[in-house]
Amino acid sequence: MVRLTIDGKEIEVAEGTNIIEAARRLGIEVPHYCYHPGLSVAGQCRLCMVELGNNPRPQIGCNTQVAEGMVVRTDTPKVLEVRQSIMEFHLINHPLDCPVCDQAGECWLQIYYMKHGLYEPRMVDEKVHKPKAVPLGPHVMLDAERCILCSRCVRFCDEVTGTGELGIFDRGDRSEIGLFPGRELANPYSANVIDICPVGALTDRDFRFAVRVWYLDTAKSICPGCSRGCNIDVHYNIRRPHHNQGRRVARLKPRFNAEVNRWWICDAGRYGYRFVDDPSRLGAPARGRGDAAQEVGWEEIIPLVTAQLRRYRPDEIGVVASPKMANEDFFLLRRLVDHLGLIHVDFRVPPRTPGDEDRILIKADKNPNTRGAELIGLGPRPGGLDARGMLRAARDRRIKCLWVFHHDLQASAWPAAEVGDALRAVECFIYQGSNSNGVSAAAHYVLPSAAWVERDGTFTNFEGRVQRFWKAVEPLGLSLADWEILGRLGAALGLGPEPASAEACFKALAASAAPFAGLSYRELRDTGKVLSA
Amino acid sequence: MAEKILTRNFHLPGSHTLVLYRETGGYAGLEKAFAMKPAEITEEVKKSNLRGLGGAGFPTGVKWGFLPQGHPGPVYLVINADEGEPGTFKDRYLLERDPHALIEGMIISAYAIGAHLAFVYIRGEYVQPWRIFGRAVAEAYEAGLLGKNIRGSGFDLDVIVHRGAGAYICGEETGLISSLEGKKGWPKLKPPFPAIRGAFGAPTIVNNVETICHVPHIMNRGAAWFAGLGTKSQGGTRMYSVSGHVTRPGVYELPVSATLRSLIYEHAGGIPGGRRLKAVVPGGSSAVLLTADEIDVTLDVDGLKNAGTMAGSAGVIVMDETVSIPEALMVVARFYAHESCGQCTPCRESTGWIYKMARRIVEGKGRKEDLDTILDVARRGAGTTICAFFDGAVGPYISYIEKFRHEFEALIRK
Amino acid sequence: MNARGAVRVEFTPEQLAEVRRLQGLYPDRRAALLPVLQLAQEAFGHISLEAEEYVAGLFDLSPAHVHEVVTFYTLFFREPKGRHVISVCHNLTCHLLGAQQVLAHLKERLGVEVGGTTPDGRVTLLGVECLCACEMAPMLQVDDRYEGNLTREKVDWILEGLA
Repeated sequence: MVRLTIDGKEIEVAEGTNIIEAARRLGIEVPHYCYHPGLSVAGQCRLCMVELGNNPRPQIGCNTQVAEGMVVRTDTPKVLEVRQSIMEFHLINHPLDCPVCDQAGECWLQIYYMKHGLYEPRMVDEKVHKPKAVPLGPHVMLDAERCILCSRCVRFCDEVTGTGELGIFDRGDRSEIGLFPGRELANPYSANVIDICPVGALTDRDFRFAVRVWYLDTAKSICPGCSRGCNIDVHYNIRRPHHNQGRRVARLKPRFNAEVNRWWICDAGRYGYRFVDDPSRLGAPARGRGDAAQEVGWEEIIPLVTAQLRRYRPDEIGVVASPKMANEDFFLLRRLVDHLGLIHVDFRVPPRTPGDEDRILIKADKNPNTRGAELIGLGPRPGGLDARGMLRAARDRRIKCLWVFHHDLQASAWPAAEVGDALRAVECFIYQGSNSNGVSAAAHYVLPSAAWVERDGTFTNFEGRVQRFWKAVEPLGLSLADWEILGRLGAALGLGPEPASAEACFKALAASAAPFAGLSYRELRDTGKVLSA
Repeated sequence: MAEKILTRNFHLPGSHTLVLYRETGGYAGLEKAFAMKPAEITEEVKKSNLRGLGGAGFPTGVKWGFLPQGHPGPVYLVINADEGEPGTFKDRYLLERDPHALIEGMIISAYAIGAHLAFVYIRGEYVQPWRIFGRAVAEAYEAGLLGKNIRGSGFDLDVIVHRGAGAYICGEETGLISSLEGKKGWPKLKPPFPAIRGAFGAPTIVNNVETICHVPHIMNRGAAWFAGLGTKSQGGTRMYSVSGHVTRPGVYELPVSATLRSLIYEHAGGIPGGRRLKAVVPGGSSAVLLTADEIDVTLDVDGLKNAGTMAGSAGVIVMDETVSIPEALMVVARFYAHESCGQCTPCRESTGWIYKMARRIVEGKGRKEDLDTILDVARRGAGTTICAFFDGAVGPYISYIEKFRHEFEALIRK
Repeated sequence: MNARGAVRVEFTPEQLAEVRRLQGLYPDRRAALLPVLQLAQEAFGHISLEAEEYVAGLFDLSPAHVHEVVTFYTLFFREPKGRHVISVCHNLTCHLLGAQQVLAHLKERLGVEVGGTTPDGRVTLLGVECLCACEMAPMLQVDDRYEGNLTREKVDWILEGLA
């Protein structure tokens, strides 16, 4: 450890820490553009100047490592003047087109200029012109005139993905970010360059012009796209419902977690939220198939479904849970399954095409909570059938009631005919999920689930890290969180009062399932906890 | 007339050949060096007060001393032959007319610093110098002066001659290293300095051609002799490139204690056509401009520093009374705008901006605020960049305007 | 040559052997990038995007990284150039001693602007920064050669020597 003083405050930090990070620990912000803790030090923007001891020449904080007894000042007249100068240099060739720039409101040129600007524009000459509104790939749009050439995006593609698509071409004030002509920026992590771009040079084709960022609210969440469980923020718009075609979730952004995803998420996860505000959402419980289908209220559907569950022998009922459900849901389902003495329980349905995987973040298992389902005991039981076995038994009319959560069995690796035969043969098919799919229309009873952004809960990722996600928006229509549906069914089946909250479910889970012992929402905090077992 | 050392053979036909170099005492310094311990050579170079002659003027022996002791991996010697500072052409003469002096200097220097691989980075436009120097390297290999076990010393040295591709910034030592590594010539952040982490990540010493050409003579005749040729803080002679409005433009080798006035009037023959002197760039384009009455200064690093300018690369550009200083500034500003590598913001943005302002003034569209804006932008940008390029540009930006403000104002008033 | 007169972008076995030699010469093979690009320009006349991709492949580099290098240095030509290139220095000393007149004369004689190539493909005319031969200002570089102390007559004589 190294002791130093920054603006008169003493601090002890690890050797090798730079001054920006050391100052951050003291709550002192050293403004910067090119420095990013996840990338190599470039020292290009020159904004993070600080004064060191008696050195008359300010030095950049990003490339200065702390040293014992170092005396750093970030607030001297000299430092403030340098910041002002550097801000002017960054802006002389910038188009100053904030009113039509999608970055407005979250642009670090705006943010720092407020604090450190010269407020006396002197540039009257023709600015350097560069390409504008150039699509770099499926997700990223470039405006080279707004670019301050900090090279974060270039370093991201060189150092994180190793794909090297971007470069800075030419030199001097003609320097320009770009792709090799004819190529595109389409690596599986491409949109991260939008997040790390401090200005409006790289914007999100999916998000641009959808909502002004100052109308957005944020909820902490976990990406449900694979078993990595990347930490994310859900940015949602409920203040201007007429914007973004009424879609409430506007975008997902990575949320830093040193142990899971650092600063990044993959594009598949980032853009995988569209189902939330999709017309395919199931808005109300329903009974009856095809033309006979009719929407009903929860008061009506709960007794109907409980009656069905009671009507069949335990060995005539099959339950296919989903690894997209939360630990809280699994706990209540497990309780219900045990209470009814069901023996055919599973949650695994293999996808038609195996998932892709890489050495960065992406996992082949495209479910957020496979590990949770395993640990809470929703896998096949001794003497019980697995999911495919249940389908076959349904076809042979040995299983008469099938309760499927979320899965689109028609999109699975199993032959469509096998699935179709089973669903036609089964006497009672209960489908519980957030969206309609290839099998939901065949259901006798539909129980609409809230999407993950519409409720609280936890997922257990591939390495056993239990992580919380928070409710961002209200459940669509009459939909309810799976735990709530299961709680109501449980109450109707005589399992006692329904739990008051997801947290209450988790508390009960922690009290009953050994791997989760001792955990609580408070204990999980923002970044989760790895199960010891 | 003072003794010529580096340029002593320049007038001889075949001065670039090994035969002639040997006949005139060449490679004798190497024999002496091989009889010494490497550390003794560095010590001798320190004592000689040899200073870097590429522009920065840093004491050469001190620079060598920055190398880590007992480094386990390779150490490299890089010769900066990327001559590019406007007004400078001495290294071209050395490469073409006395390439073996450089080779001998390189062998001794490499031996001193423990390098077994040396690179000579020659600017891409220097095709003839590259050919001539390349032939000299081939000759040296054939004569056993390069390669394995040089002259039975047990010391090995290979030399790679590398050509640039057109970028002034590659004369900056870390820009040169980036370029040598096959990248854009973007200067590197310091620290680490090249002596700690340079070319290919290894400790590296980058020295100018002329600097290294002095080393055999220091070996031959001793540090005291060399130091005695110069001033208290800088030993030896150096080659002054004189151009512009003088009767005899060319390279002049003088002790660094000579004055700028004698260089212009005695050696280069004064201003032609009976015209009067207006201004002098004393150390390459990046040096602060001196007016006609500021030339009674010695040409050593400290002499020019005390006069508020710098010895730089010793490129002396003489301007007579007919010269328009605003136009000269426009030309110089265009150069810096064209050559800024674009890596860091202050330099990238302000070199282009200042050129636009300077051009506008020359075109008669100047505004009265422009001069103070240029001065202020130059001052604010100074000292904020990754390398010394912009600080070099600041010298002319400020001095041309401050010393000849009336000429600019006359253009703006028009 | 294909229909558009462009040279096929592929090194001969001899040139490829030279590429391998250069790549083996340096402590890191990427260091051979500039020499190999110089070789490519010699072989193909200029460095097209196709050539950049080809060279990138020889180094296992992303083409963007080769493009960065090619666009950074002034001696790499990205468009076909004339059989001869005349680069007139317009930096300070040459400017003081008449570079503008030299350029004006060349523009008139060749009928092209600075940066242009004569329609017959004979000469590309460039204005360049200091070539470090100020003692012979005003000066220019014609292909490999420096020519200085230029007058109208000397410029005419230089042009006459160009096929």
